[in-house]
Amino acid sequence: MEDAAILDVERIALTAGDIAAINLESARQRAWNRFWRAPEQPQIAELIVEQEQLTAQFVGDLAAFDRLEALVHELARGEPESARAALIATQVACSTHRFAEARESLAQAVARGAPMDATERLLLTIDQATGTNLLAVLAARRERTARPGHWEERIPLGALLADLGEFEEADRTYVMALRTYPDVSPFAPAWAAFQLGVLWGESVPRPDAERAAKWYRTAIDYLPCYVKARVHLAEILLDEERTRDAAALLAPVLESSDPEVSWRLGDIAQAAGDADEAALHLAAARSGFEVLLARHPLAFADHVAAFYLGSGGDPARALDLAKQNLDNRPTARAFELYANAADRCGASTCPTAEHS
Amino acid sequence: MSDHVDGPRSIGDPAADLSDLFAFTSPANRARTVLAACVFPSAGENAIFSNVIDHSIIVRRVSVAGTGNAARFQPADEELRFSFRFEMLERDAAGKPVQRGTCTLPGGRTLQVVVNDEKGTSTPDGDARVFAGLRSDPFFLAWIIPEFRKFQNLLQHDNVLIIVVEFDTQKILDPAKGSLFGVCAETVPIPQPHSFIGHPVPRIDWVGRPEQTNMRINNPAPAMAGTDDLRDLWNQQKPFAVSKELQPLFLERLKESLAAWDMRDGKQDWTPEALAANANVFLDDYLLFDVEKPITDTSHLEIEKSTINGKPYQTGGGRTVDANVIDILITWLVNRDREFIQGGATGATKPGMKVFPYFATPNTALQTVADSVELPAPPDKVWAVIGPFGGAWHPLIARIQVTGTGIGQLRTIETIDGKEIVERLDAMDNARRFYRYSNISGIPASHYTGTFEAKPNGTGCVVEWRAQFLANNQPDLLVRTIVATLFKTGLESLKKRFG
Repeated sequence: MEDAAILDVERIALTAGDIAAINLESARQRAWNRFWRAPEQPQIAELIVEQEQLTAQFVGDLAAFDRLEALVHELARGEPESARAALIATQVACSTHRFAEARESLAQAVARGAPMDATERLLLTIDQATGTNLLAVLAARRERTARPGHWEERIPLGALLADLGEFEEADRTYVMALRTYPDVSPFAPAWAAFQLGVLWGESVPRPDAERAAKWYRTAIDYLPCYVKARVHLAEILLDEERTRDAAALLAPVLESSDPEVSWRLGDIAQAAGDADEAALHLAAARSGFEVLLARHPLAFADHVAAFYLGSGGDPARALDLAKQNLDNRPTARAFELYANAADRCGASTCPTAEHS
Repeated sequence: MSDHVDGPRSIGDPAADLSDLFAFTSPANRARTVLAACVFPSAGENAIFSNVIDHSIIVRRVSVAGTGNAARFQPADEELRFSFRFEMLERDAAGKPVQRGTCTLPGGRTLQVVVNDEKGTSTPDGDARVFAGLRSDPFFLAWIIPEFRKFQNLLQHDNVLIIVVEFDTQKILDPAKGSLFGVCAETVPIPQPHSFIGHPVPRIDWVGRPEQTNMRINNPAPAMAGTDDLRDLWNQQKPFAVSKELQPLFLERLKESLAAWDMRDGKQDWTPEALAANANVFLDDYLLFDVEKPITDTSHLEIEKSTINGKPYQTGGGRTVDANVIDILITWLVNRDREFIQGGATGATKPGMKVFPYFATPNTALQTVADSVELPAPPDKVWAVIGPFGGAWHPLIARIQVTGTGIGQLRTIETIDGKEIVERLDAMDNARRFYRYSNISGIPASHYTGTFEAKPNGTGCVVEWRAQFLANNQPDLLVRTIVATLFKTGLESLKKRFG
């Protein structure tokens, strides 16, 4: 893609990120109030799922996953036979990477007459995340993207294309998503920009750090609270030995509950030669990751494996987690993580026959 | 790294979501008209306006162009537009966020507003005054519409962001040229150079009469199951100018929808001709109001109804803050005003005010107290003791008396220090060892909802107790302490009993 096109999409008018974040938190709390008052009222549980997922993804408030589990429990208690309880259980299981459970809940949702569009979308999510029937998923994603009013299908399509090595088409898909965005909320465009950063910074065989950094900056411009975008950009800055800039980038999100912030701050301190501060940050990261693992083991197995392979300094633990991740979702990326961990530990890169 | 969300489904900015529109005569000054529009349904206490949206209230003079089964209204081309735009956040000296905005009046005069400043801002000669900010949601909907079942107000305790403009009716609307008007509101992204490449700047939302999209265009009745959702298509239409090509599609949908509404009570009250006339009138979706006739809490839709009935209208129609618009609409659609159909609530969380800005102050967040205890006893054994709504297991209870049976029964508790607490059972599920109740009196709180439950936990159980409420004329901390102590004392006693 040409730079001019990048500049074009950077001029999209979106609600200021700080306003959007305040409004998300305000609406999220209000939605829970409404839910506890009358859990059976239409659409309230569905709204909470969306708001909590946005909160986890963009604000780095990972307690959102615990709140989602509470929501699933309440629905299972209050309306155990409803299609929407099963659909929401599927969504939450997907969010925390419990894909086997997600398939079971989805089957229940189908049996209870859940809308076909919703069940089809969730099946695509599960199949894509677990690397199942990817060509069929691709065809379905393309078809759904072409439907009017299905803007939100473009980003998972871009992610799938990137997973399949179709990098230029993935780029075009994300950029088209930005160019055709039909609203002013900054969350979805920030995600598209972030995905472009991942595409050019991590997915392509020869990463283009400058291009990736440009997109991460765009994501942060749209949404200053976007923890993941800051973490990824900080990694690039650290590689460029711009430790001060990297630290300044992470300072505003120190309060986030995402341990990746502490992990990267540890790396930055190490690069700056401050071993004591590095140790403090890395201990905080280790503790934060272990808490997350205890609560949602499959959701964070890949993240924590990467940490222990890196400055977490525990390749054996990394191998164990990478194996769990690979068993849960045998994708190319999961295998790559496992292979790296196995290599570090001197173990076989072929964990079981089923993954070979 | 992997993602935890499969698609950004919440692409809509809630601050662009228009929910309601009002047009009424100022109760403080009959010579002034008030127009207001709400965005951000279920806004929390800190909600603020988007800084990239133009929020407009648009008024056109309207004439009656046909009556009876030929009922029709004709809007003029000329429009009066009241537009609000808001700035990015600033911080005051204490670091608190402050948002400012600008209202542009018809003719181009501008007024600066500070969001949530209840006094609002007036023009130098006082002919117009504007407000923008968070208020208690004046809308109430007390139905589960798909099931046509009465329910509590689904928007109880909610807030919305409101823009309000109050003006001198003679000076701004010049009713001598015609006193009947139509009004719409819309939210449109503020155009910016190079934005939305290759695409026109879209309209995000617009609203005329209440519930055009969710109850008429998209009727959730079982009889309409399987029909296409036309709401997005409708929202892309221009106020006062629905696409001629799409009018037949929308008209057909309205006829089907209104026929389904007519049969919700099992009786047909509408002839096909009258129903078609009603559909035609609703296709032109603007709120009608006549500034020379009385606009009251019950006059909503009277202009449309009388015109379809072939009679001159008697009121100013419009929509006041306290109008029960849903039940007025449902009654008209279901039985053509044969018999008023009352939903499960008769008013919003708070009534409107008689003075500027007319909409009630925002609701504060509900307080939540939750506590739990893990017990080594099986849940059924524990529930046998604590599950009966009239059970006297709590050590602070001196006496307890139950009135009635089943859902709705009351328990009157006399505490050991002589206080009386009255609570009502709202829901009970003994199989799952759960009940929900509300406090009627005895705790200095309103909107008090409590839940009580024993859940399996290995070979034992967890007893969870939760309450939400608003402190009533007492500090939050005090009421929270009262409730928390009540919970703690009760749950601790279970440890001794089952530990």
